[in-house]
Amino acid sequence: MHSIQLVNINKTYSKGSNKVVVHNNVNLNIKSGEFVAIMGPSGLGKSTLLHLMGGLDKATQGEIIIAGEHLEQLNETQLTQWRSENIGFIFQSHHLLPVLTAQANVELPLTLTPLTKKQRQQHAQIALDLVNMSDRANHLPKELSGGQEQRVAIARAIVSDAKILLCDEPTGNLDRNTADEILSLLAKLSRDFNKTIIMVTHDTKASKYASRVIDLELYLQSEECAKPPSQYTSLKTEATIEDNRG
Amino acid sequence: MNILVLIWKNSVRKKMRFSLTCLSVLVAFFLFTTLSGINYALNNSTSGINNYRLLTSHKISMTNALPINFAEKIKAIKGVDKVSYSSWFGGFFQNEKQQVAMTAVSAQSFFAIHDEYQLSPEQLVQWQKTQTGVVIGQEIADKFHWQVGDNIPLSSSIWMQRNGLFTWQFTISAIYQGKTASTDNKHIFFHHKYFDRARAYSQNGVSWITTKTNKSADSEKIIKAIDKMFANSPSPTRTITEQVFIREQAQQFVDMAMVIKIVLSAVFFTLLLIVCNTMIQIIRERLNEIAMMKAIGFSTNAIISQIYAEAFLIIGLGAFIGSLLATLTLNLVRAKMADILTGIHIPVSHYLTITAIIIFAAAICCLFPFISIRRLPISQTLGAKQ
Repeated sequence: MHSIQLVNINKTYSKGSNKVVVHNNVNLNIKSGEFVAIMGPSGLGKSTLLHLMGGLDKATQGEIIIAGEHLEQLNETQLTQWRSENIGFIFQSHHLLPVLTAQANVELPLTLTPLTKKQRQQHAQIALDLVNMSDRANHLPKELSGGQEQRVAIARAIVSDAKILLCDEPTGNLDRNTADEILSLLAKLSRDFNKTIIMVTHDTKASKYASRVIDLELYLQSEECAKPPSQYTSLKTEATIEDNRG
Repeated sequence: MNILVLIWKNSVRKKMRFSLTCLSVLVAFFLFTTLSGINYALNNSTSGINNYRLLTSHKISMTNALPINFAEKIKAIKGVDKVSYSSWFGGFFQNEKQQVAMTAVSAQSFFAIHDEYQLSPEQLVQWQKTQTGVVIGQEIADKFHWQVGDNIPLSSSIWMQRNGLFTWQFTISAIYQGKTASTDNKHIFFHHKYFDRARAYSQNGVSWITTKTNKSADSEKIIKAIDKMFANSPSPTRTITEQVFIREQAQQFVDMAMVIKIVLSAVFFTLLLIVCNTMIQIIRERLNEIAMMKAIGFSTNAIISQIYAEAFLIIGLGAFIGSLLATLTLNLVRAKMADILTGIHIPVSHYLTITAIIIFAAAICCLFPFISIRRLPISQTLGAKQ
């Protein structure tokens, strides 16, 4: 099970002598296999939330429990290891390495695994096949279109068989048709491969593909956001908390 | 795809920058290896053929003459094979702008000791018989179009004759060839007896005495024996091997070891700055890629290892080619300078030093990148914070 639970999350940044509160007591529960689109105006902290879930950033306070793992308890090395095993990232800018071919870019995360060279190649080919990019395997990123680059980035995110995909504006740089292709590909990954997908987006059409849409502006004012998930294991009490709110 | 491929492709991503950085490293290590080879020769002068030739001069200075009879006394020392003596004349032809190197030498023994100057036995005998005869190098003969039998006037700004003239008359008796390409072919040798008889002062004095030891003899012991023999005389001596003499002559102009140290310090400091700057540029250009790699699970140590490997590759490649070129160059120089400076050699320890420098310099160059990568905020760098 790869559910995601955010419990009483506070996130504050320091800007000079000022403190900027991005999130204050945010609670969120995402079930395993859900395709969640987080939407809302800029400045609400959508990406911050996504990065907290991916262990790229640390919450000032609160607990983040993903697949039973408390991220706030992990140090930098453990977080890095955890990310490589559990999370696939897809960014607005694909961040492919320009010196590597599509195939090599997809193989990159697998170099951290004990797989042999041949096994890595096979895995990468399967991932590229899944995103319909096997015919461009030997192309460099500069030889691909924006949509193709994003497909390669998706292949890189899923090649390690990460159960959770975190997508930050994956269609932000794409035209409508290509964006639709990418969204339907993500929906397919969620539907057919039971990936848990959390996507931050401004794309209003995302709701057509996601199994759940969170309008963050409304959500942050909701009762659901203010209260911890109905059931989670707190490290503070080392006990499963059952909510009897009804 | 493996990490080594990524390291290589990242290294040569900007080919011009990679080439220029490698070139700067190459130049540094070329200088380092070349100067080290020469320095080795200067510091190891007791090896090689010149070790069998010792030079004895006045302890104070070579301008202070030694009594000519010291030569006979030295010859009596056990282990000494042959002894010769010489005096510096200087000299010029026609005007002081046409300087020639001239030395008054013992007619009987000089060429027996100095076999690098080769002349026919007939010409040697002819010269030995001719009191005002000179043996000249082929190069100087060609320069002034001189031939055997020519009478030539040569002047000295130091040595006056008894008749008050500074111009001396000589007859060319022989022309010598250098044994190797590096042998000095521009020298003029003439009879010390003639010099002694004709000069206005310093009779029976010589500038230095050359001793050739037996090959089985211990040069160090002979050096000590010579200097001990004359320690309490009015002309105490200082004896050194010919190679030390050459080194000291060179160091009258410049302290080679000091020059090497200064040059190398400057070169390596500049090298470090160049490579450090390159590595900082590389990191700055790749911040997004590094943040992405951290995001997908590469640890800081794994990424810094790759950066270290890139620095190692740049420095290592430049060092390898630079040292290789220097080794080839020194092989050529060794042949050309065989008579002047023997023992040019690059010891194994030099290559170990180079390896240590590569490892150390690459580590220094990765210091700032390491700090940058360690502090790199992934979320901020990926530009998604809202």
